[in-house]
Amino acid sequence: MTELIKTSPVIGAQKKMNPIMGVHQGMEVALSFVDQKIEKKHQAILGVTDVSCFARFAIKGAKAAEWLEKQGIKTPEVVNAWLEGAPGTMVLRLGNTEFLVEDQATGNACTKLHAFDQSNTQDAYQVARADAAFILSGSEVLNLLSELCVLDLRDAALLNNALVMTQIAGISATLVRESLAGEQVYRIWCDSTYGAYMWEILIEIAQELGGGAVGLTCRFQ
Amino acid sequence: MKLLNCPVNGVRPLSEFIFGGECREMPNPETSTDLEWASYVHYRDNAPGIKKEWWYHSPSGTWFIAERNTLSDEVLSTYLHGKAPAKNTKEQSA
Repeated sequence: MTELIKTSPVIGAQKKMNPIMGVHQGMEVALSFVDQKIEKKHQAILGVTDVSCFARFAIKGAKAAEWLEKQGIKTPEVVNAWLEGAPGTMVLRLGNTEFLVEDQATGNACTKLHAFDQSNTQDAYQVARADAAFILSGSEVLNLLSELCVLDLRDAALLNNALVMTQIAGISATLVRESLAGEQVYRIWCDSTYGAYMWEILIEIAQELGGGAVGLTCRFQ
Repeated sequence: MKLLNCPVNGVRPLSEFIFGGECREMPNPETSTDLEWASYVHYRDNAPGIKKEWWYHSPSGTWFIAERNTLSDEVLSTYLHGKAPAKNTKEQSA
């Protein structure tokens, strides 16, 4: 049987940068753009990485939290919060009864969740997700976000594993701050149909501020 | 910038919200008179004053009620439908 390889929703906007492409978690994604030394420099100033390839599993319903707990996935107790629900897996609580589970570079919980038969599960419904997802890092990242988002994200807005659903560059998006390999980074999710637009906006501002695109290889080296 | 307080997500710019119309109790179509039903379907009270309105926070998909003085454009409270209103103070400023 032929395995279907998906393509990142951002790929159209990335092609002109001539990235080296590769497949990660079943999706073709940009692994690198330029020399790794330059990408490392971008990462320190303002690096933008497309991580749309991370596997996701969304579920909603009155018993969604209970169902996830049964599968060994921890869930945040309050709305608009996230935690590491399993090793290498983020769990975002988007509402009282709605959750987004996302495997990071090393997680594999979503693969297991997709394998469960939910047909006999009541009050917990799988939701199709098609997100474009990004990692932003570097010393200038707050300057970029201040251009695109009206919220003051410096301190209180994202404390204690909070997540924020707001508009970024005029697009409805979800935003969290996390620590990745000791580095403070920001994560953005938006609808995949806006992925190319979001990528172009992020890269344009990043380049103005001395940063640029960072491939998956450099980010998770 | 005008701000509005979403009961779930907190104070946000008005550009993140969509107005959903006045919140009105629907009479029971089985028991209401024709006059009551026609009034509900066709009539609107456009006199300025304190109204209950539906508002939608689009990034999070949250529908909620805002009690707003349509004469002064002052929002008195915002709350989820079915929940008790809590008085807001500085959710809207010019």
